[in-house]
Amino acid sequence: MADNSLFILLCSGEREKIQMAAMMASVAAVSERPVQVFVSMNAMLAFDTKMAVEERYHGGAFAKLLNDQKAPDPILLFQQGKDLGDLKMWACSMALDIQGWEMSHLDEKLFDGPMGLTKFLSDAESGQFVTL
Amino acid sequence: MSEKTIVDARGAFCPGPLMELIAALKNVQIGDEVDIWSTDKGSVTDIPEWCKKVKHDCVGIVEQNGYWSVLVRKAK
Repeated sequence: MADNSLFILLCSGEREKIQMAAMMASVAAVSERPVQVFVSMNAMLAFDTKMAVEERYHGGAFAKLLNDQKAPDPILLFQQGKDLGDLKMWACSMALDIQGWEMSHLDEKLFDGPMGLTKFLSDAESGQFVTL
Repeated sequence: MSEKTIVDARGAFCPGPLMELIAALKNVQIGDEVDIWSTDKGSVTDIPEWCKKVKHDCVGIVEQNGYWSVLVRKAK
């Protein structure tokens, strides 16, 4: 049966897409929609706690504007979604393996753990699925 | 007796004012009001829609000098 859960597959490392994912995830979570975010590929690099904040993101003209105008850091928005709503974040186990990372490489307050794509896709069957 | 809390979110980008409103509502009693001040144009539509969805009461929107004052009553 369909439910109102939102599943976001976040692969891009572009600030613009990560910002939109964070906005969607946080707003949906505080609007009583369960949200799950699966982070993989270049997007993973934006959550590297060992990297300086200003080096985490890249992107186009709008990424520069977001930075210049001091738009909220997407990581802060994801954290607000977790604090105020039902938002879970998963790190792609394949991307972790490729990078040679453990979960400790990522913000442990933000991520709920590693997950395989098969499990995420299976969980997402009944909800709305968005890829960024 | 109900109380009113003012949250000045002017200058915050979407969805910042909504998030600040929600955080404030967590800290007040049912029946209390939160007056959120926002310069984000989206707040005028987003906050009433959020209230409708999660069943709080948006009791007023007033355009002030360069910002909006959106009054929300905690209903649950």
